[in-house]
Amino acid sequence: MATTSPGHANVTGPTLSRRDFIRTGGVLVVGFSFIGTKALKADAGRPAAMKNTLDPTLPGSWIEIHPDNTLLIRTGKSDFGQSTTFTAYRQIVADELSVPFEAITTVVAGDTDSTPDGSGAFDFLGEGMPNIRKAAAYTYQALLDLASERLGVPKDKLSVKDGIVSGGGRTISYGDLVKDQQLKLTIPVSGDLTSIMGLTIEGNPPMKPVSQYSVIGKSFKNSIISSKVAAKTTWATDVRLPGMLHARMVHPKTLGSTLVSAGTLDKTKFPNSQLIVKGNLVGVVAPTEWEAIQASEQVASGTKWTEWKGLPGNEKLHEHLRHQADWTSTPVAKGDANKGDAAAALAAAQKRLSATYQFSYMKHAPIGPTMALADVKPDGTVHIYTHNQNPQALRGEIAMMLRTTPEHVIVHVYPGPGHYGRSNGGNAGAEDEAVLLSQALGKPVRVHWTRADDMKWSTQSPAAFSDVQLAVDEKGKLAAYQIDHYMPAMQDDRPIGAVLAGLPTMQAPQPKGDFVSSTVNGISDPWIYAQTPNVMELGHGTFQVGQQASPLAVGLRDHSMRTPGQFQQNYPRELAINEAAALAGADAIQFRIDHASEERVIGVLKAVRDASGWETRPSPRPDAVATGSTPVRGRGVSVMLRSRTYWACVCEIAVTPATGAVVVEKYTIAVDPGIVVNPMQLKRQVEGGAMMGVSHALFEEATFDESGITTSDWISYPIPTMSDMPEINVVLLNNPKVGTYGGGSEAANALAAPAIAAALHDATGRILRRLPLKPAYVQAMLKT
Amino acid sequence: MVTLNVNGVRHQVQASDDTPLLYVLRNDLQLIGPQFGCGLAQCGACSVLAEGREVRSCVMPVSAFANQEITTLEGLPARWAKQKGLSPEAAKSALHPVQEAWIEQQTPHCGFCQNGMMIKATELLESNPNPTVAEIKEAFTTSGPSPHLCRCGTYKAILEAVQHAATIMTQRS
Ligand code: FES
Ligand code: FES
Repeated sequence: MATTSPGHANVTGPTLSRRDFIRTGGVLVVGFSFIGTKALKADAGRPAAMKNTLDPTLPGSWIEIHPDNTLLIRTGKSDFGQSTTFTAYRQIVADELSVPFEAITTVVAGDTDSTPDGSGAFDFLGEGMPNIRKAAAYTYQALLDLASERLGVPKDKLSVKDGIVSGGGRTISYGDLVKDQQLKLTIPVSGDLTSIMGLTIEGNPPMKPVSQYSVIGKSFKNSIISSKVAAKTTWATDVRLPGMLHARMVHPKTLGSTLVSAGTLDKTKFPNSQLIVKGNLVGVVAPTEWEAIQASEQVASGTKWTEWKGLPGNEKLHEHLRHQADWTSTPVAKGDANKGDAAAALAAAQKRLSATYQFSYMKHAPIGPTMALADVKPDGTVHIYTHNQNPQALRGEIAMMLRTTPEHVIVHVYPGPGHYGRSNGGNAGAEDEAVLLSQALGKPVRVHWTRADDMKWSTQSPAAFSDVQLAVDEKGKLAAYQIDHYMPAMQDDRPIGAVLAGLPTMQAPQPKGDFVSSTVNGISDPWIYAQTPNVMELGHGTFQVGQQASPLAVGLRDHSMRTPGQFQQNYPRELAINEAAALAGADAIQFRIDHASEERVIGVLKAVRDASGWETRPSPRPDAVATGSTPVRGRGVSVMLRSRTYWACVCEIAVTPATGAVVVEKYTIAVDPGIVVNPMQLKRQVEGGAMMGVSHALFEEATFDESGITTSDWISYPIPTMSDMPEINVVLLNNPKVGTYGGGSEAANALAAPAIAAALHDATGRILRRLPLKPAYVQAMLKT
Repeated sequence: MVTLNVNGVRHQVQASDDTPLLYVLRNDLQLIGPQFGCGLAQCGACSVLAEGREVRSCVMPVSAFANQEITTLEGLPARWAKQKGLSPEAAKSALHPVQEAWIEQQTPHCGFCQNGMMIKATELLESNPNPTVAEIKEAFTTSGPSPHLCRCGTYKAILEAVQHAATIMTQRS
């Protein structure tokens, strides 16, 4: 998810503003003791969203120190396999507090009533400054204050090792320091707890110098992996409550259908089942899962919906986006790097390229479909048990749907299948439906979507296209570059059950929407070719396809997905830069180096060049050929800067022109995140991302007809198998002088596509500018 | 009423004969290793061993397993202990070498698919203690009802974990 902050509002009262914090000399004095979560939840006088959650101003809400010198940390960010909360967060806290990694015995993540800060499961390392780092840094200072008092030694004469403070010839452990004591500290925070970005810790507490790190930089193992491997983890799919009913949904026939009549439940066959209808929301519940499945299928077969044909169909998608979509209602976004006069330079140039690049809809496609268990209590309190990337935002959405306030909604988060951003704005898909069914029946209800529900009724990563115009001068330098990015709104966080039931939700994406729901297509791929004299990047946004035509206001709902927006923008840019290099008769890596200024851009390019054994020469290769049934080989490169992490990859492919089959044989990827917190975990993240990158480039397209999504399973939405795996080489560039940490869970999935398309050009001499590069498309394009 | 032999324990279950085994394991026997991924025998998340063969519990009716020995992820340690004749004491603390290797190699990301991956690895290594890379790829791609799919893309980590497990198992044989 994008890391831009949407302008934080201070919700915790005037005493906590940053200005006041600084005025009082860095420490506000409040009584505080480490006595568990109850005391951290004193709700009096706090806004509704801040009730039934931990007080983020209290250090114990973040880090709890126990008498035996062990620690517990809490974060609103839930884990979906990124490992950060269980490895990097522990390492960061350990170094800031000078305790061993093993001293942090517990990580509490996600649950809305026992974590302080909210936000989505993205950007875990917060551009080097995650909340937990500042929380640890503040706590460290407060501990030193306390130790100074206790030992009668000035703060700057104290030293700490393994959680033991020494000074003046005496020592005391953190555990003993805080026992029956008060830590004099209030942590300043800002933000909106139930927004997509959650709360941010403010101020600038002193940080441990990078040179003194001893835990960061080592490959600690991820504790939750051991538990998952041993079948000891409770997944969201495993939660059962007494009296719980199983449910399956009967979703509408199309993305614009309304209910004519629900099928009659055959009580002779399914005596224990019940049918629930609320507006266009239809669900079937039963005491056993198998009965719920069969009964819902029986009801579905008799349910009648109106017809609707309001979508262009994927064959006509790009024609629709180009000619019918409304790009004029939404303000055009301009890139920060725009300079010079691209139009004039283009007009004057000899060697020019003018091309369009097209990007398909893709599904997040978690390996398990979404599910949730809800328990609406008689007093209106709602408990939700789910796998969710932004539980605090979900609270807000459910409260809005039920016309209540967030303190009545408690979200319990459990591990679940990775869904790569789909729920970072709140809902994973089934929570709202489970709540509505539970409310109707007064019993806990567990809704599990089918594979087809998950493919057809979840959001998708938006399609896009980009028009590029560029010019190369006689010296082989890029003289001008203009790109116009076109993409429908990317973030629709309306819970679908609430929409179907006709209950309140946030607004559908529109030009005047806020940070999240706006149709504005901001420039999200930082420009790195600083030596280009004339640059113009523009972002054009519009409504989601079908959104306005659908009687349900649904259409093709979009949602950010791993490297969101930047993927749609980096793919055309990097492929176009490969074409520019070819136009200049230059080597594609050297051409990039020659246009970059930043040392770290050049660093990753050189690293990937060395590691891949890249042969310096222009593309296409001299013997490139676009015909025949013998595989021909090529290589391509791409670069990305994302959240202060620098990436470059080289993909080597073999393509068989006669069949159009593309195989990625080798994928070399270099990453400079600044400080590498945990090499093993970072390497695994990058490898997984690289594999998903191959998937996006070669396999993935969510198809749809005039009525709705037509991909429904792993046959109609294929992803790679182990046999599709290239040789993957990851080069980690530890760069401590940068002083911040960078993440590795995004970017790798987006880098492959332009590099693979460039490799195809290298091999065949043909440029293919549409994703995915499926055999039929490649075959047809090579024939022309 | 069906009688099942799962992880060395006999169970009488109330479920109707046509209930897919997966729901019986998860809901009646609280064996939560196998996961629901597709319900279509397309992904492998629900895999268990039946008579040592990897099968898809999401599509096979419970009645088909009446006389078979079923092993779920939970039962892998005991399966290994029995094969190696480990003492009950040693068996208690031990994981199956496949599980050990999965931890050592830090294989899972979200982990939702990994039940099936570990079941497949166990099936493979029991019949082929020293598989080549091509044989490992074949096992996870073409040997079963469908390829074993990992959306997080952990195939490299899976392959390295299978090799690691093969080494542990050879050392201990
Ligand atoms: S859940 Fe059984 S194969 Fe996918
Ligand atoms: S680890 Fe997430 S699907 Fe395989």
